[in-house]
Amino acid sequence: MGEPAVPLRVRKPLSSYQVAQIVLGIVFLAFVTWRLYTVLIVQHVYGPEIWLRFALSGLIIGSVYALIAIGYTLVYGILRMINFAHGDVMMLGAFAGFFVFEALGAWIVDPAAELNFLNAYPVLSIILAFAVGMSTSMLAGVTLERIAYRPLRAAPRLVVLISAIGASFFLEESARLMFGSQTRPYRNPDLLPRARGLELIVNDRPVLITYTGIFTFVLSIILLVILYTIVMRTRLGRAMRAVSQDKQVAALMGIDVDGVISRTFMISGIWAGAAGVMWGIHTGQIDFFVGFLPGIKAFTAAVLGGIGNIPGAAVGALLLGLIESLGPAALGIDFQLKDVIGFSILVLMLIFRPSGLLGEALTEEKV
Amino acid sequence: MAAHLRNGVRAGLIFGIVIVFLVLIGFILTATRYLQQFLKLDVLNSFATFLALLGIWGGITAAKPTERDTWLGALASGLSGGLISGVLVGIFTLIVGSQVDAGVNLRRYLVSLSPEAVNLLRFDRATGPGALMLLGILIAASLVGAILARGVGRGEWRRPVGDRWAAIRESVGQVPLVRTVLRSPVSQYVAFIAILAFVLWLPTRLTQAWDYNMGTIAIYVLLGLGLNIVVGLAGLLDLGYVAFFAVGAYTVALLTGPQPHGIMWNFWLVVPLGVALAALAGVLLGIPVLRLRGDYLAIVTLGFGEIIRILAGSDALTPFSGGPMGVVGVPLPSFFGLKLGFEEFIYLLIAGVLLVIFVTARLQNSRIGRAWIAMREDETVARAMGINTLTYKLLAFGIGASFAGLGGALFAARNQFTNPQDHTLLVSINVLAVVIVGGMGSIPGVILGAFVLKGIPEILREFENYRIIIFAALLVVMMILRPEGILPSRRRRLEIHAEATELEELTSAAG
Repeated sequence: MGEPAVPLRVRKPLSSYQVAQIVLGIVFLAFVTWRLYTVLIVQHVYGPEIWLRFALSGLIIGSVYALIAIGYTLVYGILRMINFAHGDVMMLGAFAGFFVFEALGAWIVDPAAELNFLNAYPVLSIILAFAVGMSTSMLAGVTLERIAYRPLRAAPRLVVLISAIGASFFLEESARLMFGSQTRPYRNPDLLPRARGLELIVNDRPVLITYTGIFTFVLSIILLVILYTIVMRTRLGRAMRAVSQDKQVAALMGIDVDGVISRTFMISGIWAGAAGVMWGIHTGQIDFFVGFLPGIKAFTAAVLGGIGNIPGAAVGALLLGLIESLGPAALGIDFQLKDVIGFSILVLMLIFRPSGLLGEALTEEKV
Repeated sequence: MAAHLRNGVRAGLIFGIVIVFLVLIGFILTATRYLQQFLKLDVLNSFATFLALLGIWGGITAAKPTERDTWLGALASGLSGGLISGVLVGIFTLIVGSQVDAGVNLRRYLVSLSPEAVNLLRFDRATGPGALMLLGILIAASLVGAILARGVGRGEWRRPVGDRWAAIRESVGQVPLVRTVLRSPVSQYVAFIAILAFVLWLPTRLTQAWDYNMGTIAIYVLLGLGLNIVVGLAGLLDLGYVAFFAVGAYTVALLTGPQPHGIMWNFWLVVPLGVALAALAGVLLGIPVLRLRGDYLAIVTLGFGEIIRILAGSDALTPFSGGPMGVVGVPLPSFFGLKLGFEEFIYLLIAGVLLVIFVTARLQNSRIGRAWIAMREDETVARAMGINTLTYKLLAFGIGASFAGLGGALFAARNQFTNPQDHTLLVSINVLAVVIVGGMGSIPGVILGAFVLKGIPEILREFENYRIIIFAALLVVMMILRPEGILPSRRRRLEIHAEATELEELTSAAG
């Protein structure tokens, strides 16, 4: 096959839609550049230590988003649906971990020293909290799929999405009615104290890297690697990838499609549960609404990285965490508007590049 | 027999878990109090009644038809179902009861488990006998349910009675007079005028609280009909719908109210402006998201809605929009010098609803409406048929948004204030529930949906706390059991059941 004589690319005139897109993009970029210029060069309010502080907190929260985001990505890859209730699955995991810590904290092992189980065996307590939190979320995820999604497998997408929205609010409200609407302080073992950690000296000022932050970040990365290995190296992972490419053909190859879907929800639930417990340990408080914003942020992260793409979700989540925590300071806007930045990224991403930053790699892989 | 037992065990597990869940969210206590008022029983009896009702339902579910549908099998299902659910609830009671006896304050973690609720759960007895009583009631009720299901639900008498009923309906339909009346458009107008007269007469007989509730229903009809255009007709799921409601409300509040700006224009001038601004917002919001598919569209619109809410409530915009406190002191409008009070305002809302119904009805059967429906069914085919889908999508966004703007404008004027809490995502979800429950794409359906979802909760005020959870459950249940809604449009019903009817035709042709 030789080169075609006439180049195949013919320049098409831009549609008005594309023009609108380009104009919108230029306006947005101009705004961002102007704000960055004003804040960073002209005003120059913050020193490097502040930026480092923001970046660290962004990376830590981003790593939690990553655990939730892979749940969205896995389910989207297989069912082509947004599991709207995924954030609330995470919230249930956070509550389960909270109860474990409370129960162990109330269990006095050594009355003489007033030592409770939580501080007598902190590592065991943390493992227990994660185990209970992850299994609760796993159960929630699987039940959710059985009740709200499986009967709708053949239904139009709109129907499934509405069911997912209903399920999300159902979980949120059940948590509110069962556990109350007040914010609850998360009781960490003394091994993982909040607001204490390693101190770096930057620009002659201390920058605190909290122990909970280090713990959260390291554990997230480990869990992400484990998940990646499961999807890429195991039989189940291969089945999941097969189902995500073509359900019917996968079924013909002897894969139990319903079983794989169920297990996908199981895995995404487990990882969301871990994220929930970490969220509690790191931020120190939870309430029934705790899953909503991280859920949407994590979805944003999944879109940012290219939905259906696991490394993409992780990268997108870390990036989103960074942008979100650096953004208000860098653009010089109110810190109250932090969430607006997250939502704006979601909107912009879906408008300009719905396939995500790493989306291209996925499409090539799938062809 | 094994199948019967399996059904029984499954139903028992489900109902056991559901009853425990209902206790945990405190629903049992609320329902018992309600039954107590309603049936004039004492607390324990009404609790037993409620439990028995649940148990009967469980028994009916347990004794669902199997291949060898014997009496013995049905009873076995009922018995095993009751036993399993009774044991589950009993064990739960034992745990909870022993904790309360040990002096643990359960409310610290599980807010609904007050000592009162726990005592009710064990019938004011010691924990052991109480749990046994629960078990007994559930088994007995489940058996009753199974007998009902087998004897009444699938009895021999059903077929002849059903046939006769069908025959009666058929013959009445054949009477010439009835047929003419049913078919003629005049009867439709008569029915419409009768309903309208009733609705206009109703506010004169209602208390002020109910006037207010009726106004809320009317506003939800407005919102529902608007969202119906976007979701029901054009098939675009918009979760940021509340943003347009907010645009309408804030336009009226800021431009007619004395506070932050002191502009105080005439209400009648501002309402069209609010509607126009909302429509503009709809189109502007629609432009960037035109190319997005269904579920991405939902998330993006949700993002837009949240951005608008956060901005409206932020400190940065407080001088402009009143910030978290919102705008207060919006005056009630006057009508040709006649100051409209709270009672009269309802007529304004009814007028708005009538206008919107008229517009929707005309749109639905127009070229535009058909284009929307075609687009909803299959975008590619619609485009191939020469429909400019981009234009029609924008039109749907704009018109849907303008209805919401009207709703918002009237809402702010009626409440005389508005703040960011009026414009949360929950409003979008409520409106979505109204459209879904009533029937997507159907005007009577949406109106009925607003009455059901906004009216019934006002009657059952005891269940106020459970409103959202019931809405949420309704969304899921409706999607599974009846995705076309209570009063679906004909086209929608045919569409959703297309495969089923085709199958039926095939089997009847074969048989």
